[in-house]
Amino acid sequence: MSHHYVSKFLTWLRSAAGFSIVATIVIAVVTSIVSGPYLLVNTIITGGMLALVATGLTLMLGVLNIAMFAHGEFFMIGSLTAFYVFTPISNYISENPDSFIAVIGPLIAMICAAIVGAISGIIAEKLVFGPLRKRSTDNWVMNSFLLTVGLSVLLINLHQLIFGADFKGIVGYWSGMPVSIADVFISRDRAMAFVIAAVIVGIFWFFMTYTRMGMAIRAVSQDITGAQIVGIDIEKIVLLTISLACALSAVAGGSLLFMYPSYPTVGLEPLYLAWFVVILSGLGNILGAVAGAFMVALLKVITVEYIGAGWDFVVPSALIILVLIFKPSGIFGSDVRGALDK
Amino acid sequence: MLLEVKNLDAGYGYLQILRSVSLNINKGEYVCIVGPNGAGKSTTMKAIAGLISPMGGSIIFNGEEIAGLQTSQITKKGLSFVSEEMNLFVNMSVQENLYMGAYIIKDKKVQKDRLDFVFSLFPRLGERKNQLAGTMSGGERKMLAIGRGMMSDPQLLLVDEPSFGLAPQLVADVFDSLEILRNQGVTILLVEQNVTKTLAVTNRGYILENGKIGLEGKSNDLVNNPHVRKVFLGV
Repeated sequence: MSHHYVSKFLTWLRSAAGFSIVATIVIAVVTSIVSGPYLLVNTIITGGMLALVATGLTLMLGVLNIAMFAHGEFFMIGSLTAFYVFTPISNYISENPDSFIAVIGPLIAMICAAIVGAISGIIAEKLVFGPLRKRSTDNWVMNSFLLTVGLSVLLINLHQLIFGADFKGIVGYWSGMPVSIADVFISRDRAMAFVIAAVIVGIFWFFMTYTRMGMAIRAVSQDITGAQIVGIDIEKIVLLTISLACALSAVAGGSLLFMYPSYPTVGLEPLYLAWFVVILSGLGNILGAVAGAFMVALLKVITVEYIGAGWDFVVPSALIILVLIFKPSGIFGSDVRGALDK
Repeated sequence: MLLEVKNLDAGYGYLQILRSVSLNINKGEYVCIVGPNGAGKSTTMKAIAGLISPMGGSIIFNGEEIAGLQTSQITKKGLSFVSEEMNLFVNMSVQENLYMGAYIIKDKKVQKDRLDFVFSLFPRLGERKNQLAGTMSGGERKMLAIGRGMMSDPQLLLVDEPSFGLAPQLVADVFDSLEILRNQGVTILLVEQNVTKTLAVTNRGYILENGKIGLEGKSNDLVNNPHVRKVFLGV
């Protein structure tokens, strides 16, 4: 029996997915030994958060066939919400440092970010995507893509108009001594950011794999007619998907507020990185996006470490070009079947 | 009467295919629609299942008008459609596909009972329950599509061209599985190109030609009808 598993493992290792996952782990471990464990820590934290943004993006692509370029703006909405919710909380904490608000305050800010993100996703669906879908689904991919670009410009400028173009940041979420793991000191905020990302990605994976609604989302992304036939209400799933995707992006924005202060174009960097992830791992492949997020994060961290900070977008972009030339369906294969785009 | 279609007009965009099609099915019957390619058989099925909305006429299922409803609402009323393309969820396992077929049933225990029932009908699906639907053979996928259609415990099963693209031996298997369902008391509306075989197993049939019902009657009578023999059977 064990022999059976070994041969299965070897087959997996030879596939694109297995090879790239193992290569990522090996490179991460080797570079950490050579240059110091902080590389591994940075990769894991960046990767965890990137996974949240990228799974939302891939969900929009898989279920709705929308090439979402306004996803970074939901990251921005999340960080903005967290800033305005956390500022009064942090004032209260500085007066009462021992109250339990100091522990759960940041979580409240992140939950608010997720809720506001979900609501703005629903508003976007009701005002922008829903009307377009009802009018015509001809040329859907192109039209919806243009709409998302427009939405992105609109939201960036609305932010600037209403809240100004300055940096709205916080000193930190959790105060206190940094956590020490294997001689590396990680600030509490960074450690918590990773824990939050891991928990959310875990819950999300469970939701998509085992629950009735999660399976319905996957069913719609794989075959929309089949989904209608078995009695799935497509409109309901579309609304659920958009709100979920936007909430994931917003919660990432909220929990990274200590690293990325809120300003109008804060969402562009996570958006581009998430697109690298989605193209690398395969359009619409939800679980592949999680693995892809860590690969892109490692690539970025290594580039900054060995080549220079200015190159952190160049190397991933070059890799994406190679992937598009040699394996256009991505490392983990694409799930997109062209749901609305007949 | 379980299903009554009256003067149904339907088509795609501006192209009208069906012209005043009327048909009916009683509970427990095994009825077929046969006809040449392009006659509108699949269009009829899609219109009944709600995948295209009718241009005119009425579709009454269990005493209720269902013309113009969403497919998901029609499924909830107890009508199950097994399409020609099968529309399986290819990256899900056989068992997941079947559970999706019971999407409208909320009770976990009833879902499990339905699953056991479908596995008892098609033991092959039980043996392959963890295999991805996309990696199964053509015949097995047809079986899975029919099994998925049965998961919601429908009062009426619409089956569109189950023999399409299958090797002769597999066609026989598919007809056998429909026979099993019929013996279980399931009401079936079957669309087929394989006229001889279909008329041999069904109770009643409708002949659809150029978007209109040309003939209707007991399957035995249709087989012996001179027009049918000339056009479809080449005798």
